[in-house]
Amino acid sequence: MKIQSLPKEDVFKSLLTSEAGLTEEEARGRLHEYGLNEIKEVRKKPLYLKFISQFTHFLAILLWIAAFLSFLSEYHHPGEGMLTLGAAIIAVIFINAVFTFIQEYRAEKALEVLKKLLPFYVKTLRDGREDDIHAEEVVPGDIILLTEGDKVPADARLIESSGLKVNNAPLTGESYPISRSHDPFDGEFFESFNIVFAGTTVVSGSGRAVVFSTGMTTEFGRIAHLTSGVEPGLSPLQKEIIKATRLLATIAAAVGIFFFSMGFLIGRSFWENFIFAIGITVALIPEGMLPTMTLSLAIGSQRMAKRKALIKTLTSVETLGAVTVICTDKTGTLTQNKMAVARIWVNNQVIDTKYASKENAAGILRIAYFCNNARFLDGQYKGDPTEAALFKAARETLGDLHAERIKEIPFDSERKRMTTVHAVFPAPALEKRSPAAFSLLEAGGGGVVTFTKGATENVLPLCAYMAINGERVSMNDNLKRKITNGYHALTDMGLRVLSFAYKEIEGPSPPEDIESDMVFAGLIGIEDPPRPEVPEAIRRCSEAGIKVIMITGDGSRTALAIAREIGLVKGNPVVVEGREFNAMTDDQLRESLSFEDVIFARMTPKHKMRIVSILRDEGEIVAVTGDGVNDAPALKKADIGIAMGISGTDVAKEASDIVLLDDNFATIVNAVEEGRTIYENIKKFITYIFASNIPEAVPYLAYILFRIPLPLTVIQILAVDLGTDMLPALAIGAEKPTPGVMKQPPRKLKERLLDFPLIVRSYLFLGPIEAAACMFGFFYVLYYGGWAWGEMLLPEDLLYLQATTACLTAIVITQIGNVFACRSSRESVFRIGVFSNKLIFWGILIELLLQLFIVYHPSGNRLFGTAPVGLNVWLILIPFSAGLLLAEEMRKARARRRRG
Amino acid sequence: MYKRILAAVNEFTNSEIAAKYAVFLAKSCRAKLLLVFVAEDKLDKSTFRRAESALERLFIEAEDNDIDIESITEKGDPFKKISEIVRRNSIDIVFTATRRGDTEKGFFAKTLAREFMVKLMCSVAMVRVVRMSRGYPGNILVPVRGRMTHIEEKAGFVAGLAEAFNSSVTLFHLSDPITGFFHGEIHLKPAEREEHIPKDIVQFADFLHRYKVYHEKKIAYGAVSRSITIEAAHKRNDLIVMGASERSLLKSIVSGNPVEQVLRETPCNLIVLRPRPQHP
Repeated sequence: MKIQSLPKEDVFKSLLTSEAGLTEEEARGRLHEYGLNEIKEVRKKPLYLKFISQFTHFLAILLWIAAFLSFLSEYHHPGEGMLTLGAAIIAVIFINAVFTFIQEYRAEKALEVLKKLLPFYVKTLRDGREDDIHAEEVVPGDIILLTEGDKVPADARLIESSGLKVNNAPLTGESYPISRSHDPFDGEFFESFNIVFAGTTVVSGSGRAVVFSTGMTTEFGRIAHLTSGVEPGLSPLQKEIIKATRLLATIAAAVGIFFFSMGFLIGRSFWENFIFAIGITVALIPEGMLPTMTLSLAIGSQRMAKRKALIKTLTSVETLGAVTVICTDKTGTLTQNKMAVARIWVNNQVIDTKYASKENAAGILRIAYFCNNARFLDGQYKGDPTEAALFKAARETLGDLHAERIKEIPFDSERKRMTTVHAVFPAPALEKRSPAAFSLLEAGGGGVVTFTKGATENVLPLCAYMAINGERVSMNDNLKRKITNGYHALTDMGLRVLSFAYKEIEGPSPPEDIESDMVFAGLIGIEDPPRPEVPEAIRRCSEAGIKVIMITGDGSRTALAIAREIGLVKGNPVVVEGREFNAMTDDQLRESLSFEDVIFARMTPKHKMRIVSILRDEGEIVAVTGDGVNDAPALKKADIGIAMGISGTDVAKEASDIVLLDDNFATIVNAVEEGRTIYENIKKFITYIFASNIPEAVPYLAYILFRIPLPLTVIQILAVDLGTDMLPALAIGAEKPTPGVMKQPPRKLKERLLDFPLIVRSYLFLGPIEAAACMFGFFYVLYYGGWAWGEMLLPEDLLYLQATTACLTAIVITQIGNVFACRSSRESVFRIGVFSNKLIFWGILIELLLQLFIVYHPSGNRLFGTAPVGLNVWLILIPFSAGLLLAEEMRKARARRRRG
Repeated sequence: MYKRILAAVNEFTNSEIAAKYAVFLAKSCRAKLLLVFVAEDKLDKSTFRRAESALERLFIEAEDNDIDIESITEKGDPFKKISEIVRRNSIDIVFTATRRGDTEKGFFAKTLAREFMVKLMCSVAMVRVVRMSRGYPGNILVPVRGRMTHIEEKAGFVAGLAEAFNSSVTLFHLSDPITGFFHGEIHLKPAEREEHIPKDIVQFADFLHRYKVYHEKKIAYGAVSRSITIEAAHKRNDLIVMGASERSLLKSIVSGNPVEQVLRETPCNLIVLRPRPQHP
């Protein structure tokens, strides 16, 4: 039993209703059983829980423990600054939580936009009476009455119809009106012409239908369910952050516990060890990493906006850089969506439109002129792009023509053709007339003619004749073969091909008569030229190891020709058409997708989600473009959903991660370049931030191992991590793309953000130089102040305060050299240009101002436990910074040599 | 398989649709079908008539399908009466519909559906009807766990429905992703996931194979209930068949109950099968 195949009586029977509709009592009962006819959000983790989870991950728990121990320490040993430290650690937890939450936050408004597509009121038949009710009160079994302009409230089976046409654009993406009728249909559910779907609109005519699905069980509800329910999961960057923070937290905890135990062994007191353990833990955690990363992504999104890619989720900025596959629409994205007639096929020959004239193409162009709803107004051709292109070609060749349109059978996606009936005066010179036809038209000084245009497979079967050199010749296999060859010749040029036919009739006739025994007039090939920047963008994708898959509603030959023209495919690609796609199992589709060049032709948006799902299963990072309502699930499912800013629906825009302001494929590629650059830059500033962790940790090791005063307090560590380091790090995040960034393959899933070379470079190369500087500064002040080895200083002793200030200043000064060193991992900073990133200098300036405040302002002194130091301290530290940069330049030179 | 099937019918359309699944299973198993309506006290006439009409329609449909059918109408407490009939007639499985209101109650507390699921000594198929009619299921989505009980009965039930509707079956297994503390989630491709299919699922598939039911296996990761409803919506399934929750109340409170969540959010009709308890 299929609802579409049942006769009217059985429809009533299966839905337990009748010709008079449900009774009010039954409708109330069903409302209770099936619920309101509404689009509901799938239950999700509430926003507040998402925020709370930022306080409960491994790193946060470690910091909570550190804060708790600080407060405990303050309780037992008041006045040692542990209260401030505890408060500072909690502040770090909050700062990180807020910034991570901002990264992951995304406003979910797609469902709100979807809801607007459903009606508020609907006319129903209950107890035999017509009544307007709230659309959300419609229940299965209700009979709804539909007229022109109505929005359909639920999925329903038609039981009566009169010239009913609906616009199924929200479900199919096609905005052509589609004829609907009430007759039983034995085919597939979605191809049934007797079903009307929720969210669609009645364009013309009227009908009655029995509702069989409401709310979230409708096709429209299905889109809502998928759009709100599908969660793409963590972005590659989010996954890397989790791994990185777990690694760092483990290292910090392990080092803290190890040296805590060691302190006991060498006889340090419990509280000394305690302070040390907390200090080393805080020192090894890069507190500023997450805020810097978030700010860097925000800056990246601003840069992308300038390049016409509007970012909606911050992490998408980096995900773009990891993309391995882009599934893209053709029309409007790869092409200009500026249709123009390129070739005309008549009399078994192809005519370039430039050479079309009244002599060689008048007949076919006359059909193109009349069987057309485009108009020439205010100096512009207005209407559907395809129709406007045909009208323009016809008008520019034949001039303005006049005829009275008597009837129109509009284009729809099932018939794939459009037919008009015209009273033509004077008689059209379509052919040398047979005496009968001639007299027919001449008798009244004109005649009635039917014009048809549409897909060749739908027009050719209507034709019993063909116009050849002005003669009407009976259609035969030979002529059909010639037409097919002509069709292939045009599609192989990448043209969309339409067929044209006509028929002279005597007057008003039923549709089956006006569209039979027609005369085939010829073919017209319409080109939609590729965007000029697309071939270069495709080439860049190829160099960057990104696979581009075209998904188009066009036929396979047209798609293939365009793909070849833009350099998307080279040899013989795998071409999968819609019907074949539907019959394929997931394994078969997976195999097709594994080929280097794949094109999907004659597809509809509903197919996209399946392609995206399979690609993601295979471990690909997928970007997909979309513009229609039913693209929304695929946009949500993909790692990066890209909506079209110009042609896209609001639903698609709300469901996407990125909106292309110019609908241009090249913009996606530019955004990928930005994404890759941001990932590179994140690695650069992590190296920069991590390097300062070593000079923050070494003083604690020296304190525990050599029984010296603590060279750097925890608050001073936080001053670096959350203060002086932040802006230079952000400036590194704004570095321009390196020349080779789009010439390397996408980074592998196994590649770590904190990889071995990064850790070695920051912890074992840059960090130790900085540590040497800060210990030198510390002892320099102590020795010149008269300190002797083994002497312990009170925390408020001026000499001690100045010594720790020197230690802190050493970190700040060496980080200035480090910021230049970290601008690249291999290239010399002098080659990329010392002044090429002006933000670096702003960052350094603010870093220095902050440090001056910390060292010389009483408030800074009080807050960070510092004291003013002489200029000589600054000067003796500068060589360390220069030395670090020099050492790094030497390392880079060696790395370049090794790489060749 | 099942020799005696009971379908509880009342005045609501969802009970009639639930009973239709029983009709088809009875046809497939060549079982005797008992249609039972228990009128509660103080039932008004129109409600009674609606239930009687439903019984009549189902009776005719069953007869049309050459099913050995019996219709029983009684008065009293539905659970008690149906329990008695189950005992008296050695019923193998009871089909009962759960209402939308039931799913909104936490753990189905104080609902007839829960009483059936917990106390009846035969198998129980609890049907959640969200869609009145569109067509017979072309593909039945069967979420399966790694460790299953009553594999043979569950497979037989699915096979019976699949045979009745001429449907294919998708065995949908959700497993926890392989993770490492420092490596995070390790992505496995579908072919690699196949290697990790639990033995019970292989055995379930073998049973289906024996019943000559076309089936495919799909393994996915993610939140259980969400993944099931998304899969059903994506593949346009018309029916989900899943086993009843075996989670304790405490575990359900702490970690949630996926079966309940699917019952709430299912985009298509759903049958939750609780096999016959092992110890009467």
